[in-house]
Amino acid sequence: MSTEDLIEAFRAQLRDDPDVASAVAAIRALLGFLKQDRGETMQGLRKSLRTAIDTLSRVDSSVAVSSGGELFLRFISLTSLEYSDYSTCKEIMIERGEIFLRRVSLSRNKIAKLCHPFIRDGARILTHAYSRVVLRVLEAAVESKKRFSIYVTESQPDQAGQKMAKALRKLNIPVTVILDAAVGYIMEKVDLVLVGAEGVVESGGIINKIGTNQIAVCAKAQNKPFYVVAESFKFVRLFPLNQQDVPDKFKYKADTLKTSQNLTEEHPWIDYTSPSLITLLFTDLGVLTPSAVSDELIKLYL
Amino acid sequence: MGRVGSGSGELMDLIRTEGQRMTAAQPSETTVGNMVRRVLKIIREEYGRLHGRSEESDQQESLHKLLTSGGLSEDFSTPYPLLRANVIEAINELLIELEGTTDNIAMQALEHIHSNEVIMTIGYSRTVEAFLKEAARKRKFQVIVAECAPFCQGHEMAVRLSKENIETTVMSDAAIFAVMSRVNKVIIGTKTILANGALIAVSGTHTLALAAKHHSTPLIVCAPMFKLSPQDNKMVPVFLTLLYSRLIQFPNEEDSFHKFVSPQEVLPFTEGEILAKINVHCPVFDYVPPELITLFISNIGGNAPSYIYRLMSELYHPDDYEL
Repeated sequence: MSTEDLIEAFRAQLRDDPDVASAVAAIRALLGFLKQDRGETMQGLRKSLRTAIDTLSRVDSSVAVSSGGELFLRFISLTSLEYSDYSTCKEIMIERGEIFLRRVSLSRNKIAKLCHPFIRDGARILTHAYSRVVLRVLEAAVESKKRFSIYVTESQPDQAGQKMAKALRKLNIPVTVILDAAVGYIMEKVDLVLVGAEGVVESGGIINKIGTNQIAVCAKAQNKPFYVVAESFKFVRLFPLNQQDVPDKFKYKADTLKTSQNLTEEHPWIDYTSPSLITLLFTDLGVLTPSAVSDELIKLYL
Repeated sequence: MGRVGSGSGELMDLIRTEGQRMTAAQPSETTVGNMVRRVLKIIREEYGRLHGRSEESDQQESLHKLLTSGGLSEDFSTPYPLLRANVIEAINELLIELEGTTDNIAMQALEHIHSNEVIMTIGYSRTVEAFLKEAARKRKFQVIVAECAPFCQGHEMAVRLSKENIETTVMSDAAIFAVMSRVNKVIIGTKTILANGALIAVSGTHTLALAAKHHSTPLIVCAPMFKLSPQDNKMVPVFLTLLYSRLIQFPNEEDSFHKFVSPQEVLPFTEGEILAKINVHCPVFDYVPPELITLFISNIGGNAPSYIYRLMSELYHPDDYEL
């Protein structure tokens, strides 16, 4: 499968289903790539998969695509350890890949089921930018007949907050869009903060749209719980100690990385929130404290 | 256990229904639900063992399992005649473990209490009493007991401790902060331990924990593992006793576990004229967040609050968290 076909398959996934997570779309595209691969050896397969993942990262440089790719590679390695014959191995891989995709499509519902009891009747919630998982959680809360109101940050530079507000209004939830700068002002009025994540790092911290760290610091200062909702395929093997440690390839959009002369003059799109600021993470593996995240990653990768 | 062997799935459903009835009867007694969950986990394990699944394979969800498993969840329909005997044996082991918890905790006392220390505690806890008594056999130390109004269980604790020749002082709850600067350690018991490492303990404990944090005094919680409850604070059902036929609502976060008893203890009925003009509350429990706790000492050893979620996953199966 050529690189153009792969990129086209990936883009088609995103087009056909705007609700799908970019990591899932990447894994689907890679599974398609795997099905069409003509190689005969494990080594060859891994090499071509690595190039495929690189190609996809150049299209969409988000952390989620990278973590989805890593997970897929790990999945390949684990399966290959069990079966030595390449062709049976490949069949099993394809079968398990389908099962895996079916499972992850259920993950948002699992998370919603876990998280909505934490939203009380009459709660005021602050959220940041546009997150489909948060939207699903709030939908579940509405279905269980709870009344609550939302403050959403405008989230410059792409005004993702407005998109979120529109989606929430469709659900008949009272929404107020606030300036990114108004988070400190509004924090005393809210009961809890609920955000999604683009990636969850080994320390239990998260990588999310720029501005999340600020909200977390304000929430901590005012003793408000800071909840994160993320699917488990977003767990990534990074351990940043500060903002500078997050690799540049995640901070900026793929096009900017290709064309820009001096990256220090570009504005980053994501930031890192440290685990000490996070109260709980809701994932399809259960409700986790930040310290439990590294446990999960160790179980997978070691 | 009459019809077991024909279907462990049926047995589990039976236990689950009984468990729901029992917890609904007295929601603040979380240990009832915990024991039901332990038994359900025992049945799952024994079934798994007979079914041929290896010990290593994790019953829990994990990323690893997500990637490697071939199919979705298993059912419990295959009958095994040995299952009944195995389950009964495992439950007997559980009973033995439960009976030995206080001794197991008390055995660790000497590592934590040193000579000439000043220890503070609140109210009356059998576990802490055994812990301190065990340490008193070899060490000389002082104990300050906060009386824990309005029931003043602290008085009984002080009487029992002084019978063992431990130098004990009783003081009122208001003096906790004032005295804290002279205290080396705070050792308390608790009613329930939650999944995030927080406590539901007798009213007054949160104040004690905050004072300890302010003075950087270590706060040690002595509690057996059966008090570990998978319900996160928001999911513990509301238990309200109607006071004067008025339904009380609390606006703060952790109010869902509140249990109230007669306000007679706070303001006696003899103060008749005032009662008509005021609301009197007498909450029994306090929520203590995990950041204020230093160490949990349980029958399986010492653990940090951030590790409690892990112990939870070893004791109970996630499908059983909601009975």
